[in-house]
Formats: sequence, structure tokens, C-alpha cells
Amino acid sequence: MDLINNLLPHLVNGLSLGLLFALIALGFMLIVGVMELINLAHGSLFALGAYVAMVIINPDPSWLGALGFWYVELPLAARYVVGLIVAPAIVAVVGFGLEICMRRTYGKDPLYGLLLTFGAALVIEELIRVVFGSGEQVMPVPDALGGAFLFGGMIYSKYRFFAAGFGLLVILLVWLFLEKTPYGAIIKAGAHDSEMVRALGINLTRLRLYVFGLGASLAAIAGIVLTPIWGLRPHVGVDVVVPAFLIIVLGGVGSFWGAVIAGVLVGLTVGITGAYASEWSLMSMYFLLIGVVTFRARGLFGKKSVLEA
Amino acid sequence: MGLTGSGALITRPMLVTFAILVTLPLWIEPVGFYQYLGVEIVIWMIFALGFNLLLGYTGLPSFGHGAYFGLGAYAFGLFQLNVVQNLWLGLMAAVVIAAIGGAAVAAFISHRRGIYFALLTIAFGQVFWFVSIKWHKLTGGEDGLLNIPRPSMDFGVVEFALSDNTALFYCVLGVFAVVVIGLWRLVHSPFGKVIQAIKQNEMRASFVGYNVWLYKWAVFTLSAGIAGLAGGLFAMAQESAYPDVMSLHASGFVVMMTLVGGGFVSFWGPVMGAVIFFLARDFLGSLTETWLLWYGLMFMGMVLFKPEGVAGAWQDWMGRLLGKQDKGDASPAGGFVASLKR
Repeated sequence: MDLINNLLPHLVNGLSLGLLFALIALGFMLIVGVMELINLAHGSLFALGAYVAMVIINPDPSWLGALGFWYVELPLAARYVVGLIVAPAIVAVVGFGLEICMRRTYGKDPLYGLLLTFGAALVIEELIRVVFGSGEQVMPVPDALGGAFLFGGMIYSKYRFFAAGFGLLVILLVWLFLEKTPYGAIIKAGAHDSEMVRALGINLTRLRLYVFGLGASLAAIAGIVLTPIWGLRPHVGVDVVVPAFLIIVLGGVGSFWGAVIAGVLVGLTVGITGAYASEWSLMSMYFLLIGVVTFRARGLFGKKSVLEA
Repeated sequence: MGLTGSGALITRPMLVTFAILVTLPLWIEPVGFYQYLGVEIVIWMIFALGFNLLLGYTGLPSFGHGAYFGLGAYAFGLFQLNVVQNLWLGLMAAVVIAAIGGAAVAAFISHRRGIYFALLTIAFGQVFWFVSIKWHKLTGGEDGLLNIPRPSMDFGVVEFALSDNTALFYCVLGVFAVVVIGLWRLVHSPFGKVIQAIKQNEMRASFVGYNVWLYKWAVFTLSAGIAGLAGGLFAMAQESAYPDVMSLHASGFVVMMTLVGGGFVSFWGPVMGAVIFFLARDFLGSLTETWLLWYGLMFMGMVLFKPEGVAGAWQDWMGRLLGKQDKGDASPAGGFVASLKR
């Protein structure tokens, strides 16, 4: 009992981390599915989302004149909600721009898309460095979400519960969107056979644009919520894009619940190893990957996919 | 020209390259650069040439190749610090350790190709990077190994000290020459033909009867070994080894070099790419703090508009100049485009 009690905070930490990782991975997978593109800039979009939200939550009021001063007088919670909505929208627009660049690479070796997004990742990261500097930044969080409470003699951070709940909520919304709306059906069909979708009279160009935007905004949302846990520096994108890759490979490309379960699994593994060997906590997920890939080459729930062609 | 071209032991481009590089210490300072830049460029040329064996010749995109470069660097450093101070043995240790690391990873991923392959190489590359940061006792953590002694070049009868940058440059250049000639022979050997067949169509190559898995494994291991050699030279030149060279960025840089130079269409692509990368770094770096931003933009532009790189542009230009650019196989770009439409 004592063991469970001691381990519980780490499990909560792991769960919140895992659900947000899964969110990043889902956006990444939507893009992989519809565009057959590994978006190496996904982590940079994540970082960009967090930085943009930081500015929206705590802007320099002189930019907007009287309106700006009125805005900064609003309670932090209100500004936080604004940031949580507006920043992903801005990042989605950046995603649109990236997708428009990407169009020239469709139909060529998928390596070109990968390289293009690597270039884009460099550019976004350097831009962040130019605008915000290289130092560590702090994301303001509403008071209601901050702080900690005691339960069974252990300290729990309230924010972790918020992060886990929020991650779960967005994952469910994405699932509902994909499963219960006609748009979701088109996206899934596009991931299955994009030529056929085009033949059925659906505007594939626009579909790709929107899917990229959606993926980018999911990364941005995860960025905003994960930042108070993970820290915010220009190269945070690289730190976070790798777990996302891992989750995709682990869960199996193209499997929604595979990604979610793999995300939670990775989060819990990181959380539990964090309890016993915190130095190596991030390493454990690689061992998880190697272990799984050795026995199940396509990941936990993977089917044969376009990427193996 | 093209990826294959003449199979002679020594070719004219090879002689030109060697001639330019041998005279480099004489003119690099007058044109405004410094001796050490030459050392750095040649080391990365070796790395990129080895990498192109995988990317350009076999069509396997490894995005975690910095790991083997780093393995070589650490192996060289630890060997000098803990075993014995000897250049040849140290470099050999670098090659062997990196090749072992590459062989182990390749055993996991050789049945993969394309994007899935790239994903797995990233994941494995990060494992090595992470270990290099966390295993303080062995690697010195984020600072890395410092004060690695630089042994002299001992040929038994004569011995050269490598204390100044010119001597260092010629030592590195010697290794470069061996690697270039060796790789040139390799890609024109039957082995080289098979890996290019695998690039064009893996399934067909296996139906013809080649053990595709084994070939991919061997190429990956070899490429990792060459990366390790470059890494060992790098540790020797820097007199230190640090985790940065294993990061995703460093792995990306070698891909960039190979592609910018035109590794897909020319043996010499990676060589040109390494030169362009370092000149861009020093030139843009002298103009602005954020040279990577501009280099990244340049790279994006190149992927979009001239993915065959400098070598591809050169070949197009030469073809137009000579006026004999056949539409079919004779144009190297044609064969390449065909291979993309598989």
C-alpha cells in the first residue's frame, strides 16, 4: 500500500505527460497519414505555440494602445483562455504556410518533405531565438491551476491534473471529430487512399491544407499546456518531437488508440523511472521502444502502411 | 559522371580535388579564412562521403548518423586517455566502436525502408545522444571529454608531430584520400552495383536473389564505421569530444551537406556540400548571429527548386553546354527522376 501511495504522484505526472505526448503524436500522425510526410518541424510548431501563447497572455500593452491596457487588466485566467484559443489558430496559419511550401514535394521521394521540414524547423527555432532570446522562459499560469495539495501524505501538483484532464479532453474531441463528422471521414479516407478521395470529387489540396493546420494547432495546444511542466526554451521542439516519433512507432503508424495508449505508456514509463532513477527517466522510453520494436516490428497496433512502400 | 561513371582507380575529378586540397594551406589564409577551417571541412567531407553511401547509393535515409560520428569521437578520446596514446590504434578503435554501434542498430532496422527507416534511425540516434549526456563517469556529461591528447603520426621510421594546424590538415587529408579511393572502388564493385539496385527497387533486387537485408546491414555498418573514423579525427582535431555532435541537429547537418552538394546524383556531392556548409557558416556567421536561419531558408529553397543540389545544377549546365543532353538515361537527373517515380 505504501508503495502505491508513494508511486501515485509519479503515476499522475507520467499520465499527464503521456496524454500530452499523445496529443502531439496525434497531430503528427494526421499529417503522416494524409500527406505521407514526416513533419520534423512539428516540435518547432509546438514551441512556437507556447511562445505565441506566452506573448498573448502577457503582452506589451503599448502595442495596442488603450485596448492593450484594458486587456492586460483582465484577470490572468481570462487571458490564459484567450491564449489557449488564439495561439493554436496562429500556429495553424503558420502550418498553412508550411503546407503551401510542401506542395512541390508531393509525389517525389518522401525524403524531400522530411528535409524541407528539417529546414523549416531550423528556421522556426532560429526565429524564436531572434525574437525571444535563448534563455529559459516562464509561462504564466492562472492561480486556480497553480500550487499543490496534500493527499495521503504525498504532494500533488494541481497543474498536473489540469494537464492530464485537458489532454484527455482534446484527445476525445479529436476522436469525435474524426469518427463522428463527415470531415473526419474525409480525413480518414484521405489517409487510406488520397487519389481515390480526389476521384470522388473532394478537393484534396484543401484537405491537405486543413489537415496540416489541424496537426499544427494540436501541437501548439500541447505546447501551451505542457510548457509549465517541461520548460520553455528555443530547442524545446527537438526535445519533444522525438517522444512524438517514438509514440508513433510504438503505437503503430495509423492507429489512433495505438498512439494514445503508446503515449500513456511512454508517460507512465517516464514517470515511474523518474521515481527511482530520475537521471535516466527520459531514457527509459527508448528502451520501451527497442523492446517493443524487437518483438512487434510495426508497433503495438500497427498495420501495414503506406510508409513501408 | 553521375553516380557511377568511370570505374578507374584514379579519376580526373579525384586528381583535381586532391590538387585543390593539397595546396589549400598555401592559399586559405590569403583568401581570408584560417587553417583550421580546412581541417574541419575535410573531416566532414569524410563523414558526408560515408553517409552518402547510405543515402545516395542505397537510398536509405538515416537521420541519426551523428550518433556514430560521436561514438567514434568518444572512442578515440577514451582510448587516448585510458588505454594508450597512439594515433593509429585510436582511430582504429573509433572505427570499430562506431561500426559495432552501427551494426547493432542496423540489425534492428535493416528490414525497414523509407520514412519508417528514417524514424527508427532518429530514435536510435537519440538513444546514443542521451547516453552520452547522462553517463557522466564515462563521457563527462554535457561538457564531454576534455584535453584529449593528440598523439603524433608515427610511421615507424619517421614520426610527425601534429601540433600545428598544417600538419594536422595533411594528416586528415591523407585519411580523406584513402577513404575517397576506397569508396570509389567500393561503389564500382559488384557490391556497389547491388546497393544501387536496392535503391532502385528493393523487392526486385531480392527476387533476383540478393540478400537485401544483409546488404543493407553491411552498408549501414560500413557507413557508421566511416562516420566513426571522421568522429575520431574530429576528437583528435578538437582535442575534445562532446555530446553536441550526436544531436539531431548534427545528424541533420550531414544530411543537408550531402543533399546540398548533390549526393543523389554525384559521388562528389557530399564533398561540395561540406565545403558549402562551412563556407556558409563562416561567411553568414560573420554577417549575422543567426546564420542558421538564413542557411535553413537557403536549404528550404534548394529542396523546393533544385533538389539535385549543386552537382545536379552543374550536370545540367554541363549537359546544356555540351549540347548532348539526351532525354533518356544519359542525363543523370533523368535516371534519378525515374527512380523517384517508382
